[in-house]
Amino acid sequence: MADTAIPSAIGGSEPAIGRGLKGLLLVAIPVFLVGWLIIYPIIAAILSTLFVDGPQGVHFSTASYQFFFSDPYSRANLALTLWTTGLCAVLLLLVGLPIALYLRFSTSRFADLVQSLAIFPMFVPSIILSYALIRTIGPNGTLDILLNAIGLPKIPSPYLTPWGPVIGLVWDNLPLTVLMLTAGLGSISNSAVEAARDVGAGPIRVFWHIILPRMGNSILVTISFTVLGIFSSFTLPYVLGPASPEMMGPFMLRTFNDLYDPLNAKTQAVISFVFCLFFGLFYVWSIARNQRSQTR
Amino acid sequence: MNRREFLAAGSAVAAASALPSFALADDKTIQVYSGSDNNIIDFWNNTIIPAFQKANPGLKVKLIDAGDDNGLRAIADRALAALKSKADPQADVFENFDARLPAGGVDAGLWVTFSAANVPNFGKVNPKAIDMPQQLPYRGSQVLLAYDKTRLDAKDAPKTWEQLVAWIKKNPGQFIYNRPDKGGSGGNFVRRAIHEVNGRDPSKFTIANFSADYAEKSLTPAWAALKDIAPSLYEKGAYTSGNTQSIQLLSQGVVTMVPVWSDQVLQAISQGVLPETTGLVQLTDLALCGGFSRLTVFSNGANKDAALKLADFLLTSEMQSAVITQIGGFPGVTWDNIAADLREKYKDVVPTSIPTFPGGDWNAAINDGWYRNVATGLARG
Repeated sequence: MADTAIPSAIGGSEPAIGRGLKGLLLVAIPVFLVGWLIIYPIIAAILSTLFVDGPQGVHFSTASYQFFFSDPYSRANLALTLWTTGLCAVLLLLVGLPIALYLRFSTSRFADLVQSLAIFPMFVPSIILSYALIRTIGPNGTLDILLNAIGLPKIPSPYLTPWGPVIGLVWDNLPLTVLMLTAGLGSISNSAVEAARDVGAGPIRVFWHIILPRMGNSILVTISFTVLGIFSSFTLPYVLGPASPEMMGPFMLRTFNDLYDPLNAKTQAVISFVFCLFFGLFYVWSIARNQRSQTR
Repeated sequence: MNRREFLAAGSAVAAASALPSFALADDKTIQVYSGSDNNIIDFWNNTIIPAFQKANPGLKVKLIDAGDDNGLRAIADRALAALKSKADPQADVFENFDARLPAGGVDAGLWVTFSAANVPNFGKVNPKAIDMPQQLPYRGSQVLLAYDKTRLDAKDAPKTWEQLVAWIKKNPGQFIYNRPDKGGSGGNFVRRAIHEVNGRDPSKFTIANFSADYAEKSLTPAWAALKDIAPSLYEKGAYTSGNTQSIQLLSQGVVTMVPVWSDQVLQAISQGVLPETTGLVQLTDLALCGGFSRLTVFSNGANKDAALKLADFLLTSEMQSAVITQIGGFPGVTWDNIAADLREKYKDVVPTSIPTFPGGDWNAAINDGWYRNVATGLARG
């Protein structure tokens, strides 16, 4: 690709074409890497799950997909993954939005502290977080000891239940959510908010009619980003979650590694990929919509 | 300095910095790869390697942490390819590996076959521990039951499977084991259940006699037995995701009893992770399974002879005693090759027999069967 592009770029008599080629050259490396390391393996994986080696040579078969969707165990794992992902996305918005609003509109120095606290989980590796959560909200953990000290009963521990990963994932993904929502809120001008206040709008009306319509896009972007991350999460569901049903991440690894079954592991990966693709398209669509509205 | 001079000087510096890695090739540095836990890596770095280098001046050992077994498998695949192209695999020893992998490796002669001819101490190895001659068992451990002596009197601790099941049912929520694929303590507890329902006869299971029908027939009753105790486990059927997590629950006083690896629990007690009041008990009708860590040596490694010296060194009574005192493991050699005072001190954990369970296809059958039959189908709130 580079060999053909360079001579024409140097000898190009038309500067506009030369510049275009240079631009293409600049993106060639990332495009090549994406093609080589992401697109090609995806296509190879999809093909290898559909064209399987049989006794009479390679033939087309959807048996592994039929097995996945007819197997209640696999379906339960997929359902748990969707449940966890959906619940985490909702919880992240519920927790992240108030923090982002506070950070956007507060001018106090306390806001800096809140911001650094909200960003803090980004710097904690999830494996450390997992063990810390077992210590704090796990059975007989710090929280139980504190509750016990003031004469209250112990909490039902979320450890080894589906709620364990939910708590961990919300904590782990909070920084990204807050950062993206705060960035989205940055595009709302103070004057619009003040104008609404001047005509007598209360905080809820301001939020509902002024702020929310203007940050719809950033909410979409935030949700698609966190969903992509949570859907494929591994460490937190692995350490904190129940043995069964399990999320797709640990399930795939187990199928591949413990059951020596690459075909079904790849099938699970392709199915996860299709779900993530849906949210990825959602993201691309909202970005495209955003760009269109800006150029307009 | 003009540009040309700068480039010349620069490439000279680059070449000089590359020299040590060229020099490495003819230096006698044994490349050891390990996929074991940190306690084993520390044991090698602090004990084995200094002692070996002192005893063999001119030889060096470099221990590389391959992360886990998969890391080792990748290097073994590479070494098998190197064997075919007659290249240097840049690896000499695997600290613990199943020589049955990579497929076809044994037939191609990838691994050194150990014997008294190339490893003089080989005759001392415990015959019970020898699985195949391409593997050198140099340390072992066994799964035991660890319990909280403040809550369970040592004289009431279960000694047979039947007593254990009765105790679990009488004390709901006080026992937990980890998922069988996530750590050997839970894995061997599950295998003990399989032994129990098959007449407590470990010889009924070999790598060769695996078949889907036989697995179905022999494993199904074990799933029923494990399902039967599930409602009496912690949280009515929760399973930790590893050996360490089980120890953590015991140390937090959440449960009273867990299956543990002997070396891990002895270390946890000596480091204060578990209190002094931790009791250990082994079932006497048939012990829980154990396993040996098996060293393998590449036949095409550049330092094969030095690597065999290292293998021999590991079987000396000095190193085998260190296995007991430093990592709480079992020696790979027979107990009469161990100092008498140590033999006396550790007689409680000295196993009279170490039942083992074959790997191979059985692993996948047990792991998948357990997840599908035992872990599911429980309504938990």
